[in-house]
Amino acid sequence: MAKSKLGLLQGTLDMLILKALSLGALHGYGIGQRIAQISGDELKIEEGSLYPGLYRLEQRGWVQSEWDISDNNQRAKFYKLTRAGRKQLILEEQNWERLAGATMKALRAS
Amino acid sequence: MLRIKAIINSIRARLHYDELAREVETELRFHIEMRTRANIEKGMSPDEAQLAARQRFGDFVDIKSSCCEIRRSFPFNTSLLRMGLHIAMAALAGAAALWTVNTPHHNLPSLLFLLGLIAVLTYSFFVARQEQKPHRQ
Repeated sequence: MAKSKLGLLQGTLDMLILKALSLGALHGYGIGQRIAQISGDELKIEEGSLYPGLYRLEQRGWVQSEWDISDNNQRAKFYKLTRAGRKQLILEEQNWERLAGATMKALRAS
Repeated sequence: MLRIKAIINSIRARLHYDELAREVETELRFHIEMRTRANIEKGMSPDEAQLAARQRFGDFVDIKSSCCEIRRSFPFNTSLLRMGLHIAMAALAGAAALWTVNTPHHNLPSLLFLLGLIAVLTYSFFVARQEQKPHRQ
């Protein structure tokens, strides 16, 4: 039986974007590809939803962007993580681990 | 520093909305083009590839509008600032009106200046209120 892809929990997209960018600067399409790659293609993301997320993160100062030339010689906007973004990623990873741990504990309770 | 840059970006986005909309559109179109190419490489026809890319992307107009709105918004809660500005404008307009009514005016230019000031403050008050409604294109 084919496995269906998992929907994203609210608030996790920002963390995944930060994680994808922690490995290097990317344009929006590249971020989507990297999230698919690091999640083993298990997560179902509506690709367009990445962009409001990216703009929000930039507004908060966690990522910054600049226009550059992509591999196929087209103008593209590349995003990279700022120092504040790196700190935020660590914080979000810790929160996520605590939340996942607590949820598992609750589910396993008899 | 990044906070200041975000504020400057918001002001710039408010002043040059068309430029911002074009920039966002270029970025989103690049994404769809890349996905279309990937679909063609997987064996789809160009038309099928583009349709699939658009479907996978989601509502283009809505996403573009969201991005523009986020860029135009200030990176802090502006509701208190707005409220303060509204009160200040209303108070100034009221004070100017009282001054106009209660002070004898011997020359026309000063009277016109005060009436102009009241008009500008009242207009600013309504423009500021209008600004609160979401800007859509």
